Order: sequence, then C-alpha cells, then structure tokens
Amino acid sequence: MSFLTPLYLLGALGLAIPIILHLLHDRPKNKQAFGSLMFLERTTPPVDRKRRPTDLLLLLLRCLALLLLVFVFARPFINVEDPADASRRDRQWITVLLDRSASMQRGDLWAQAKDKVQTVLEQLGPNDRFSLIAYDDSTELLAEIKLWLGNSSGAKVNARLEGFAKPGFGGSNLGQALRFAGESTQETEPGPDEQPFARREIIVISDLQKGSHLGDVQDYEWPTGIRVKLEQIGEDDQGNAGIEQVASRVPWATAGTAPSFRISNSANGLGDELEFLAHTTAGETLSEKVHVPPGRSRVVELPGEWVGKSVERLSIRGDAVEFDNQFHFAQNRRQTVRIVYIGEDKPNDAEGSLFYLASAFQQSSTLDFHVEAISGKSTGPLPEADLFVIGDAVDDPLAQALGQAIEGGATALMVVQSPSQAANLGQWLGADGVVIRDIVSSDYALLQSLKLKHEVLKVFGDARFSDFTNLHFWKHRELQNLPDEGIDVLARFDSGPPAWVVARRGAGRLLVMASGWTPADSQLALSTKFIPLLYSILKPVLEDKTQSRQFVVGSEIDVTRFNNGQAGGGVTVIPPGDAAAAISVDTIFRPTATGLYTAKGSDWSETFGVNLTPDESRTEPIVMDQFKKLGLPMSAPAAAPTAIEAAKKTETHRREYWRWALAAVLLFVTLETVLAAKGSRTAEPVMT
Amino acid sequence: MEISSLSLRARAVVEGFMSGLHRSPRTGFSTEFTEYRQYSPGDDVRFLDWKVMARTDREFIKKFEDETNLRCTFMVDFSKSMEFGGDDAGVKKSDYGRTFAASLAWFLTQQRDAVGLATFDRDVREFIPPRYRQDQLKTILGRLETQPAGNATDLCQALEKLASLVGKRGMIVLVSDFLSPLDEMESCLSLFTAAGHDVRAVQVLHPREVDFSFEDAAIFEDMESGQNLILDPGMARESYQQKYNAHNAALDAIFSAQGIPGFRVTTTEPLERVLQRFLEERPARAVVRQRRSPGRSAA
Repeated sequence: MSFLTPLYLLGALGLAIPIILHLLHDRPKNKQAFGSLMFLERTTPPVDRKRRPTDLLLLLLRCLALLLLVFVFARPFINVEDPADASRRDRQWITVLLDRSASMQRGDLWAQAKDKVQTVLEQLGPNDRFSLIAYDDSTELLAEIKLWLGNSSGAKVNARLEGFAKPGFGGSNLGQALRFAGESTQETEPGPDEQPFARREIIVISDLQKGSHLGDVQDYEWPTGIRVKLEQIGEDDQGNAGIEQVASRVPWATAGTAPSFRISNSANGLGDELEFLAHTTAGETLSEKVHVPPGRSRVVELPGEWVGKSVERLSIRGDAVEFDNQFHFAQNRRQTVRIVYIGEDKPNDAEGSLFYLASAFQQSSTLDFHVEAISGKSTGPLPEADLFVIGDAVDDPLAQALGQAIEGGATALMVVQSPSQAANLGQWLGADGVVIRDIVSSDYALLQSLKLKHEVLKVFGDARFSDFTNLHFWKHRELQNLPDEGIDVLARFDSGPPAWVVARRGAGRLLVMASGWTPADSQLALSTKFIPLLYSILKPVLEDKTQSRQFVVGSEIDVTRFNNGQAGGGVTVIPPGDAAAAISVDTIFRPTATGLYTAKGSDWSETFGVNLTPDESRTEPIVMDQFKKLGLPMSAPAAAPTAIEAAKKTETHRREYWRWALAAVLLFVTLETVLAAKGSRTAEPVMT
Repeated sequence: MEISSLSLRARAVVEGFMSGLHRSPRTGFSTEFTEYRQYSPGDDVRFLDWKVMARTDREFIKKFEDETNLRCTFMVDFSKSMEFGGDDAGVKKSDYGRTFAASLAWFLTQQRDAVGLATFDRDVREFIPPRYRQDQLKTILGRLETQPAGNATDLCQALEKLASLVGKRGMIVLVSDFLSPLDEMESCLSLFTAAGHDVRAVQVLHPREVDFSFEDAAIFEDMESGQNLILDPGMARESYQQKYNAHNAALDAIFSAQGIPGFRVTTTEPLERVLQRFLEERPARAVVRQRRSPGRSAA
C-alpha cells in the first residue's frame, strides 16, 4: 500500500492529545483551602476504578477515529493492473516542438532531443494524432500523422527527423513556435466519425535557454484544453561566454574609434579569464587576455594594432561551450564623402563660406571627407560629389551640369549671397522670373516658423535644441516669385520671407539658404546649429556609406544595399567555404549559416559577416515561473502518458479506501458520543 | 458564633461565665491571691511569718500582694491561616480567637484591670498598650473586630518586636494556632518569660486540623503561601496526624520549659468552658518569680 500524500501521516502525532486529556481527567478539580500544608506530603490521587474501563474504551475509540482520519488524509492506494483498461484508451493528440536553434549544438543535446522524441513516439497508441514541429527563428511543421499506425508512422517521422543531422544556427523563438502549435492544435476539429481527443498536449523538447523569445505568447490567449509539457534537456552547469559586436549609435559621427565587441560571461561561467583572438586573412592569429567575471559582460575595443590587419574572424576561448565562440567580422571600409564647393572663396579666408564648410567636416574612422573647391566660372566638367555647395553665381556649362546632377539624384546646397544668383536659382528650380532682392534693415533678423518635423531639421526636434533665437542674421535676401509646387519652406525670417527652402528636383534635392553663414551674413557658422545642420543635409549619403556589414542568421538581407539600392542585373551571394556554390539572389537573401559571405554584382563586390544571434549565447535555463506567468497550462513534468493511465486506474481503488476509512471514522465518533453520554450520566457529581 | 457583634458576643460569654462564677467556691485567678513560700537560706528574715512559724514550726516567707491592677496584653494572631474554618465542622479560628480575647478583655475590664492588645501576622500590626480607661475596651473591641488580612505567620519575628514594645511586666495572653515552625519558638518566648511576664498561650485549632477529616481528593491550597498540593485525604491522614502530634508535643515541651500554661482549644469547644479553664489555671512560674518579696527585690 502506498500513500499519495504521506506527509499527512505526521498527523498521527495528534494521538497524544486524547491520551494527555485522558490522563488529565484523573486530576481532582475541586480546591480546598487549608490553614497550613506543613504536615502534608504529596500523595498520588486514586483512580476512580469504576469509570476506568469506560474511559479506556472512549480513549481507544478516539484514538482510532484520529488514526483513521490521518489515514484518510494520507490517501492510501494500491496499484492494481487492470487489463480491461488498456483497451479503453482515450485518443490523444501530441504535438512535439523540437528546438533546433544554435544552442542545441552544445554537447550531445541534439542526440538527447532525438531520444526524447523517440520516447514520445513510443507512448503513442493507435489512432492518436502526432505532429512534429521544429523551430528556431522560424517554425516548420516536419511531420503530421493524423492516425497513428504504430511502427509505419514512426518510420515516417524518423525519416523526416533524420533529415536534420544537426541543429541549425538560428535563434530560439519559442513564443512563436508555441503560438503556432497552439493555433494548429486548436483549429483542427475532429471529423464527425472521428473519436474526439481526450487529451491535447504540446511537448516542448528544448534546452529552454534564457535567450529564447517568448514575447509572442504574451498577447496570445491560450486555447483551452491544450496542455504544455516542458522537456528540458541539458543542464547549463558550466556556463557560457559569448561575443557580439557593439553597434555605435551614430556610426558616422564617431571619430577615430575602432570597432568594439561585447564579451559576456554567464553567472555560472567556468572562470573569469577569457582569451580574445583575432584571425587575419593571412592566417595570422592574434590574442589578448580579457578579464570578464562570471555574470558580467565587458566591451572590448579592437586593439589598434589589429585594426589594420584585415581581421576576418574573431573568437573567444576559455569557456565550456564552443558553438558561439566565433564572430565573423567584415570590416567596414573607410568611405570617402566628396563635397564640392562652387564659388570664388579662398580656403583660408575666414570671411568666406568655404573656410567654415571645410572645418565642419572632420575625418572619422569610417568616413573620409574630401572638400574640393571649384570656381563658378570654370568651364571644366563637373566633378562627382555627394554634396554640392554653391556660394556664388555659376556660369552656364557648369550650371547646366549641376542642374542635371541634381535631377539625377545629387544634393545641392545653394547659399544665396547676391542677387546675381537669381538666374541659377530659376534655372535649377525650373521657374521663370525668380528675383533675389537684398533686404536692407538696420536690425538683425531671426528665424521663425521652423519646420522641425522635416527630415533636414528633425535633428533639432528635441526641445533642448529647438531654440534658434540666438541665431542672428545681419544680412538676408528675399527670394521672390518662387514656384508654388515642389518647394518646402523650412524656415522664414521674422519679417516673413523664406529663409531656408528645400526643393525636390527629380531624384535630388536643392536646398536654398537666403542668408549664408559667413560672419558678414549671420552667426550661423559659429552657432551650435551649423554642424548638425550640415550633417543632417548629408544624412542619407552618410547612412548609405556607413551601413553595417554584420548580420545574424535568419535575418533578411537586402543585398542591393551594397550597391546603393541598385540590383544592377542580378546579385550573386557566395557563401563561406571553398566548395560553396554561389546563390543567385534578386534582392533579399536569408543566410542559414554563419560565416563571411560575398555579394557580387556586375561591377562591385562586398563582403558581409553573418553570425549567431547574441541571444543564443545565453544558455542558462529560463526560470519556470516565466511560463506560468504567461498563462500556459503546464502538465506535471514527470507525468508520462502511461503514468497518467496508471494513476487513473488506481484512482477508483483509492477512492474506495478513503471512503471506507471515512465511514469508520463516523462510526467510531458515533460510538464515542454514545459512550461518553452514557458515562456522563453515570458519573459521580463533581466535588466542590 | 450566631452573634455577629464581637462586643455583644464577649458580653454574652462573660455574663454566662460570671453567673457560673458565683456558684463556684474556687477562684483560681485573682490579683488578691496571697502566698507563702518556704524559707530558703538567704531570704530576708524580716518577711518571715512568725505566727505560722509558731503554729507549724516551719519557716515561711510572707509574700505581699502587688497593690497595682493586673496589666494584661492580648497578642492575637491575625494571619491568613487563622481564617480557616467557617464551615459546618466549626467556626473560623480567627473568630474564635478574637471572641476569646474580647471576652477575657471584657472580664478583666470589669475587674478594673488594665488591658492592652497587640495583633500580628508576620509583623506586629497593631499595638495598644494596656491601660485602664473608660474607652479602652471599646478601642480593643473595635480593633479586634477588623477583619484579619495578614499574610503568613512568623510568630518569632512578631514576638521579638512585641517584647520590645511591652514595657512593664504583666500578663500576656498569646492567641494563635501555633502552626508554624518551632525552631526558634523557645528563644522567642523566653524573651517574655525572662522579662518576668506571665505568658499564657491559647492554641486555637479547627477540628479538621486536628483529625484531618476530609473525604474527597482535592487540590489543597495553603492559605498563607498559596502553594497547591493534590491530595487524597484518606492516604495523607495518617502521616498528617503523626506530624501534627509531633508538632504539638514539641510545642508543649517548649511551653513547659518556659513555664507557660498552654491551652489547646478547638473551635467547637464552648467558650465559657475554655474561659473557666483558663481562669482556673494556677499562676505561672513566671508570676511566682515576679512576686518576690519586696525586701529581696530591694536588696
């Protein structure tokens, strides 16, 4: 005989209570005051012998009632095998969610996972329904058996399972997988001639690492009647360390910094000293010790002497698990940004525009600004540039070329400094009769009606930066007869005329400033608004040039980004490895393995790195409470289907036992009451 | 003890007793009593009774009466143990003792003797020096009538204090149950006898204290200490009586050693009879010593 809740047997200690009370019963209750006890000694009070047998019987009954009560609470049962039950098996639908994320590459986790699947398959009975779903970042239905037919069905599932020799490199989106499984298990209703499912269960076979994403279940109302059982495999007893690149917030604004990497060590990590290695294309290996205490992470900058050495792969060494120790690194090449100033200014003339323009753009690790000045009267060809700044009237061949360049997608900034530029402005805006008039005023002008939501001025959108009242314009011009369409007035002078105008011309932009930044015109060059404004104008160009070349497995990569959004007659992606076949891609490429990939166009080629998602490095298990908080109905982890069947069988017997015991308790209590009542009638009156 | 007022009760007792006294030819107790003592060498021959010597050919020293009235101090035990009783087996010991003292005081006052009162438990609670005055009896009766609320008895400690309070020699009537350890009792009593006081002890006991005639097992509570003892009286009786008898025997031995007449009374005994027994008792040895010839005391 076994007990379901044997702890209740401790209640038998309560037997002491009636026994003590029984003993206390013999103590005299009446008190007798007496002058002096000096002649008295303690004697044992006599026992009332007439009442003793009744008392003993009462005591016995009370003790028995208590014991049986304890027995009832402890819920005794006996395992009885009933062959008739086996045939009356209920139909069940088991869905297995198999984790094939990168963290399953650890040790023999994959083999363990497959074993678990086999265990589940063995427990399936005839007519059961079985689904096998594999998940990482995405969810894939591997096998679906609507009516389980024993070994033949098992062979089908195993054939599909064998297709996956190894887990992939993806992340773990458990939430998405659970939701998918929940939806598919819920939606399918059994047909009219089918036996309904007595049990629907989703079994998750996974390492349940902390990096799994559960967000998708959060806003999902879990269907009723579907239970979730978690089969955790592997124990994260040795910890893990991971490496990821730290993306700079504004990559083009960082000056002279090397790329940095975050090395994290889990709380139960082996030690706190890790080795940070760099592998160059030349086969050289550089190494450095990094001290990362368990439970912490540390950002390491690529040492200066490594930067120039064409590093293709970084790795860490010193933790227990290897799968996430590599980081394929595609270094960003330094890009040149060409700015052409068209005007008559001397580069060193602090009264001119060019001087301030050249000073505004500083070199950074990723960007090399190249400012070139040409005369507006030049007859030579227009050089290629990312930004044209026009500070004077431009003569015709050049002006025409500029107009074409703007139409073709170039960005031009025209600083209106004299009425003579009206012809250029009219030409580029495609409008006749544009007049520029010098405003003569003894007072300075301020900006007003700023369109801070426009992408050029968005950088000043925050209230901390949107105060332009300190920016005084000593001289400004009024632009008259501007076309109504295609013109955006970003700011106006407080007297009304437009101050900053942006016009979209074809694929390009033309920005016009009715007052320049020279000291004679305004305080703009010396104000804190100048540099952000110029960078903001250049922003689309800069973003294009500083795009990251690092991706994670499973992400969608628009390969045309490497060629300014132009597919240019098809792109080929060459995966890592010598024997890898090139893949022809239209626009989107979805890598499934880590490594350095090469995207090739007709006349260009770019290398990009694909790595594991950093979350996969967080191998410590999820706290189980998290699943409960998400409202998932959890099955008892150890209750395999056969165990449940066995529990069902014994339940009927168990119930009978406790009912009998309860009946006996009632009988004893009744007897005890009768006896006690009888005893109290015959009892002697209490002495007083 | 049907009469609740102590003065009425004392009066009733004394009047009943006086009526009997007229019929009795013997007066055992009198301050007028004269005495001869056999001459022993060294006695002053001036006090020889020559007439007796001539008649009987024996030398007797003539003793002179003390001309002053008797000074009697009642020392009444007001401790908690005296509160025992008041049931169908007998009145409370305290009621009995107080009535006894009151009756005797009444009687003595009628004889124009000076009467005083001391009440005590562990310590002396009240002391009224013996005087003969109009309102002295009233005061004494008033004090006796207050309910005893004392604690434990420490007879010795109280007696030591009283010995210093009681000045002139006189009669001391000690009313108590004497149910306390007797270790130092003799030395305490000797403080009085040595000072020449005529000490008489009245031991008031309840009949149940004498025979321990309880029937049912009960929790026995000591009235003084509050200590509890679960007892079956049937089993405890024998040992109780043994110890009780031994205690009384020791007490008697102390009394006789100090020349103190001891009266053991139970609360069921009629008071008149006790009073009579008390008065008939011959003067104690101490009194004999007190009434030495003036000539000798002068010497």
